[in-house]
Amino acid sequence: MKIWENFIEDTEKIIPSDVQCEIKMINSIDSLTRFANSHIHQNVEEEMTDLYLTFHSDGKTTNLNFNITSLGSIDEVVKKALSEIANNPKDSSWPGLASKENSYDGFKKLSPENPDLRAQKVKDFIDQGGSFNGAGYCSSNVSNVFVWNTNGLSSSDTATSAFLDGIFRSETSSGSSHLGHKTLENIDGKKIGQEAYSIAKESQNPQDIDPGVYEVILGPDAVSTILVFLAVYGFNAKSKVDGTSPIEIDTEQFDKKITLIDDPHKEGALNFKIDASGSPKAQTEIITNGVPKSYFHTRRTSTELNEKNTFHEMFGWGDSFGGLGTNLYLQPGDISKEEMISNVKKGIYINEFWYCRVLDPITQVVTGLNRNGSYLIENGKITKPVGRLRFTQSFMSSLGQGNVLGVGSENRFADSEFGEGILNVPMLHLKEFNFTGGVSG
Amino acid sequence: MFNQINKSIDSAIGSGAQYADARILISKSRNISSKDGELEDFNNSENMGLGIRALVGSSWGFYATYDLSDKSLIEAGKKAYLIAKASSKVPGNDFPLADVPIVQDKYVTPHEQNPFKVSSTDQIDLLVSSTHEMKKLGSSIASGRLNFWDTEKWFGSSQGHEIYQNIIESGGGISSLSIGDGETQIRSYPQSFGEYRTGGWEVIQSFKFLDHVERLTEESKRLLTSPQCPEGTRDLILEGSQLALQIHESVGHAIELDRILGWEAAYAGTSHLQLNKLNEHKYGSTLMNIVADATLPGALATFKYDDEGTPAQRVDIVKEGIWTGVLTGRDSAAIAGVSPGGMVRADGYGRLPMVRMTNVGLLPGESSLEEIIASTDDGVYMETNRSWSIDDLRLNFQFGCEVGWLVKNGKITDMVKNPTYTGITPNFWGSMDMLAGKDEWVFWGTPNCGKGQPSQIGHTGHPASPARFKDVRIGVRG
Repeated sequence: MKIWENFIEDTEKIIPSDVQCEIKMINSIDSLTRFANSHIHQNVEEEMTDLYLTFHSDGKTTNLNFNITSLGSIDEVVKKALSEIANNPKDSSWPGLASKENSYDGFKKLSPENPDLRAQKVKDFIDQGGSFNGAGYCSSNVSNVFVWNTNGLSSSDTATSAFLDGIFRSETSSGSSHLGHKTLENIDGKKIGQEAYSIAKESQNPQDIDPGVYEVILGPDAVSTILVFLAVYGFNAKSKVDGTSPIEIDTEQFDKKITLIDDPHKEGALNFKIDASGSPKAQTEIITNGVPKSYFHTRRTSTELNEKNTFHEMFGWGDSFGGLGTNLYLQPGDISKEEMISNVKKGIYINEFWYCRVLDPITQVVTGLNRNGSYLIENGKITKPVGRLRFTQSFMSSLGQGNVLGVGSENRFADSEFGEGILNVPMLHLKEFNFTGGVSG
Repeated sequence: MFNQINKSIDSAIGSGAQYADARILISKSRNISSKDGELEDFNNSENMGLGIRALVGSSWGFYATYDLSDKSLIEAGKKAYLIAKASSKVPGNDFPLADVPIVQDKYVTPHEQNPFKVSSTDQIDLLVSSTHEMKKLGSSIASGRLNFWDTEKWFGSSQGHEIYQNIIESGGGISSLSIGDGETQIRSYPQSFGEYRTGGWEVIQSFKFLDHVERLTEESKRLLTSPQCPEGTRDLILEGSQLALQIHESVGHAIELDRILGWEAAYAGTSHLQLNKLNEHKYGSTLMNIVADATLPGALATFKYDDEGTPAQRVDIVKEGIWTGVLTGRDSAAIAGVSPGGMVRADGYGRLPMVRMTNVGLLPGESSLEEIIASTDDGVYMETNRSWSIDDLRLNFQFGCEVGWLVKNGKITDMVKNPTYTGITPNFWGSMDMLAGKDEWVFWGTPNCGKGQPSQIGHTGHPASPARFKDVRIGVRG
């Protein structure tokens, strides 16, 4: 990309030889068509080119972030950085720059999807809803990342994604569905619309049930919420460094049916194949048959814990966050949705969780609610839709040994509280889940 | 800058938009974090760009670019129009924009010391010394953060607005985390995630972090050996910053007109409030008086004009317990038939402006925390938020706080850990029977309010003083 090449050419000439420097650029076009009350009401597109510069000299580090317009002259930026760095204290955990051998060339010049196609996908969705009220979004994204450093590393990659996410609402119910793919043309708006409509229709006139401990079947979006919380607060090696992670490597902490990998090379994976150090990512075992196998490491966390780097540094996030897998796959089982429901004596089907928050990171006790489709299952059959329930439940225990009764046979990309396209998961059947409140509190 | 803005607006209008407005922003931020007496992150950020919004029929089209060349600005105007026009495949009803004064004006946040002109060494030293002291006193993880924003905005519209504003915001906080056997306990100051206001470096100096390091460390350690918060129904006394978040979640979001109209239904949710019940619905007890006031000097959501050029103002939201007002934009106000309240803002140049809380606060009462505690026979006093969750109608909530104190026969007795409480919005606010006065009224600021798609972070203010609520369910555990 010309803008990047020119910038690096100018920069290389002026970095003093005793200064370590790393430069990253994120160039993206993000487009999102939003609908509510069954019509498109907001439609946006943003083109951005942001630069992230890190300088390390005399044992001290400073970070600067500009977009290409506000940057001004690179001479001035380097001067400013080097004058600021002198004021900073020593950076005792500086992990160094990635080596030249880690260079990776994945840049592809791709054009953004057009707003007419997004509008058509929205129409395909809304047309399935009859008299119900439709709302949601259709998004598309092209992102390019570039990394250069004074070790001679030069890396780049391109990722694309598209999502359609929507709900239908009746007077008393709502139902949702979600689909992600690398390209918009592969998103089937009709199929998602039919699924969301079907859930909203079957969820009408929900009844209250008593809080308590229930068997549950969790839809993919609910499953991804549990996993993303464990990923951010547990498998993120920064939480291990801080002493707040509940994850112990090579210890039987989860049910044997749980196997989780991070694989940017899997067919259809939506996120980058390099991390923010510019190094290529590889397939990483995170949980194998219930046993944690690896944290998500960055250069800093792998140095601090003296463990092998897994290259999970995030573009645009600082060192204080740590690392996170962004191409996570929960291995599917062999149970269909119908079979899973037929295996439940008395339990609840939860399509989606909402507004989940951690009460304590070590215990991973989380509170949140259900929404967009929940049913009571009795003796293997859905008997009635149920209303709002609040849970207060340890997410560690929810996937603990003996608590996972079944794993669904079909995976899909699912939404989560930390973003979409990160997790590709099936449904899960759990033995116990603790609901602590109902509609009346 | 206005010449550049007008090139883009003219292009959108020339393409066929019925209305267009645009903003050029230069946004600077500085984020500093420290852990255990060391600098963890020091980041200076600056970006600049234009966002243009075009109205075609029933839909907004929005395009943002970092490229401010004439060619790009004209292209941006056309793209905003074309994006809005693409929406006509799935059209709604056309809507007008509510009238607002067309002004040309300038505004700069009153401040004493621009935080970007203060030595970064002083800023780093404050955090490093605070976290060093807490670590020395036995904190497992001592952390601190400072954040500063300096935002210059030029706003123009096809109706003739030309407004320049320079908003300066400063904030931060420190916390001590203690790790015990399978649990963590934390104490934070001035509130969890820090306290934020409009103003300069003087905001941070007023917090006096070092005066609080000993208390925070001692309390976080003591919590590890304290008993659990009891379960049951008791009187609940909330410290001001926790009450501020309670207002944010159970009032502030519920009164956003875009939510009430269903525009946020798929993501943030809707509201339990229905417009036909405005001026009738009983939101809480007669002590409950809520205003949205973007004119409060020093509060975090204080400005002179919103991102649609509507003047900042004070709007009654709840008067003596009755719901009387909503948060509006020019589009939603016109649809609902109410006055536009100057409550639309965007997160940077690259995001579409949307309805946002201003300083949505609970007006002070006539009591004091001391009197509230003295008149409570059996209750729990909870301080500083630790977790928060509420349903998408803004009805069913559960909050956790960092520390609880048992109150027996008018006196604080024991410290308790993991205090939580849960409730239903109108029942909870209906149970408020004592409210502290102006001396304890603080302009709490929330710098991390998420809303919208693509996601936007908003800065909101919530003035509040401590209050008591009767018969609340507390001590919910997993």
